[in-house]
Amino acid sequence: MTTVADGAVDRWAGGVCPFEMGWRKLMMWIFIITDGLLFAGLLAASGYGRTMASVWPEQSGVFSIPFIAAMTFVLISSSATMASAVAAAHAGKTADVTRFVGLTIVGGLVFLGMQAYEWTHIIGEGATLTSNPWGDPLFGAYFFMITGFHGSHVLTGLIVLVSLLVRWTKGLSTSEGVELAGLYWHFVDLVWVFVFTCFYLI
Amino acid sequence: MTASSAQPGYKLYWTVWAVLLTLTLVMLLVDQAPLPRLLFVVVMVIAMLVKASLIGIYYMHLRFEHMAIALMVVVGLLVNAAVLYALIVPDALQIQQMSMP
Repeated sequence: MTTVADGAVDRWAGGVCPFEMGWRKLMMWIFIITDGLLFAGLLAASGYGRTMASVWPEQSGVFSIPFIAAMTFVLISSSATMASAVAAAHAGKTADVTRFVGLTIVGGLVFLGMQAYEWTHIIGEGATLTSNPWGDPLFGAYFFMITGFHGSHVLTGLIVLVSLLVRWTKGLSTSEGVELAGLYWHFVDLVWVFVFTCFYLI
Repeated sequence: MTASSAQPGYKLYWTVWAVLLTLTLVMLLVDQAPLPRLLFVVVMVIAMLVKASLIGIYYMHLRFEHMAIALMVVVGLLVNAAVLYALIVPDALQIQQMSMP
């Protein structure tokens, strides 16, 4: 008869293979959850500031929503190529991994380039961390904080992916390495889904 | 065989990609539609959560992982975020009311 305690031991697998996954992947998941809470805090703070503000700018009057949608398209597409890279790594298709990780890097670079363009435009309009021409001063602060934090995550992801690509082509990385990089990249995409909806659309 | 060793092929990922893009297009159309504010927010939040779930379930492989990991993510992220919002929204609304003439 299996007891509750036996079930807990099975699930933990004696600490060697907790939750039936390697410790690296488990650590990545714990990191993703804690990092996700950082963005939850930023978006919650943004909602708080917006609720209190007497005048909050109309997003469509500040941003080009079709341009932001194009950024979303690029990031979602790069997530699809990264997922394909993970599948290829598990299937042992070495050339496919190189191709898909390369495409993911291109997607990340395009996204960052678009974000740099957007920042240049917004700064050119007169927005800073403490003031902006559209209304509540917190609007600019939240814009730069949230998109800046996300952009820094994209940049970190790109460094991870380039490092992975170099190691993979030299035969130094494993399919688990590709999967871990993939988890991080999908998390960056996941965060953007929330940022796009909560900050740009709602 | 562990749960995480069952790996889907490319087709599934590109199907999810198509669904994600379709949902994004729907959100853009809704953004242009003259909907009441509450309905607009509800539709956007539902679309956002569906997109986030698709990424988590298929791209991040939660579907193929141990159920405990999926629960850890849902409880850790969603419930904590919900508690965060539940704690600050009443405060923000109160300040907004106080600042009204």
